Amino acid sequence: MTKELEHQFIAEFERHQNVIHKICRIYTNHQDAHNDLFQEITIQLWKAYPKFRREAKFSTWMYRIGLNTAITLYRKRQKRIRTQAFDTELLKLEATEYDANQEAQLTLLYKAIHQLSDIDKALVFLYLEEKPYKEISETLGMSEVNARVKMNRIKKRLKKLLNP
Amino acid sequence: MEGLDLLKRDWKRLGDTCPKLSYQDIYELIHKKSSSIVKWLFVICLGEFAFWGLLTIFIPESYLEIYQVLNLKTLAIVAQIVHYLVLAGFLLLFYKNYQSISVTDNTGLLMKNILRTRKTVHYYIVYNIGMYILFTVVINIIMFLNPEMLYDMVPEAAEFPINESLFFTIMLISQLLALIIVSGLLYLFYRLIYGILLKRLKANYKELQKLTL
Repeated sequence: MTKELEHQFIAEFERHQNVIHKICRIYTNHQDAHNDLFQEITIQLWKAYPKFRREAKFSTWMYRIGLNTAITLYRKRQKRIRTQAFDTELLKLEATEYDANQEAQLTLLYKAIHQLSDIDKALVFLYLEEKPYKEISETLGMSEVNARVKMNRIKKRLKKLLNP
Repeated sequence: MEGLDLLKRDWKRLGDTCPKLSYQDIYELIHKKSSSIVKWLFVICLGEFAFWGLLTIFIPESYLEIYQVLNLKTLAIVAQIVHYLVLAGFLLLFYKNYQSISVTDNTGLLMKNILRTRKTVHYYIVYNIGMYILFTVVINIIMFLNPEMLYDMVPEAAEFPINESLFFTIMLISQLLALIIVSGLLYLFYRLIYGILLKRLKANYKELQKLTL
């Protein structure tokens, strides 16, 4: 792979890296695990880059590889997994932006999301990124109807969690 | 604002406040080694191919004398040639399936291709065990039908009287024990290696399968 290609990739990646950070936030609850997954996704993106045909946007291409790595390819390193206590540490809610009630709600929601299955996490992630259901279903390889039904169920569950 | 709207708003904030890696950081990252399960799968599968493929080479010559005694030498040679042809076929299929694994496919297809690649090796192992059992059965049948052939195999130095039925019982039990031990070890190996490697993937694939209809 040429130096030019490498430079092009890094420059593009640098601009869109927040997509990968957000995937890592959904799938990990500890900074070490976050960095680990971030590294694996970056490597997978770089490996796939020479074949990237630009039929899709760079960020869309990143979504797909990022989620595929998180759900399928990533091998969790057992020794680094610790307990739940990291949710709040990692998500660092900014006290000035939210009142105490909102802060409590957000903490609860992120905790609930971390307990979802890998597939459900991907659905929530794409939903939060405001992707249309057609794209969600194509990215994950499920039917559009099922993606919609499943997401509605997750939303209901999250709402119920906040208003028991 | 509350509930999911609050979450959506915070999600946007999260995107803006993410730590940003510098050009140099990213450069260093892409030169690190991947530890993806596909890479591990590839290494383990090649190891299995090598193990079963090379097994025949390490069988001592004396062990093969039984084929000579039972007039099965030609069959053994043919079987060996077929064995290597089959190995080549499986390797080709494995390579083709491995090449079909693409991280840019949709998640369901990616999982399917990974599991298919792993299945190729699984069938290869089943084939090997199948052949092992088949050969054991064939040799046993021939031995039982022609017990006198076996006496040629007993070293002349052994001057103890041979009790025919005891001899066969011992042979049968030892073969059965060998089969159980080998199967047990293989089972453990599979549970351990593939269990660790593919447990999560299989569960996710199952979940996704339910959503494809």
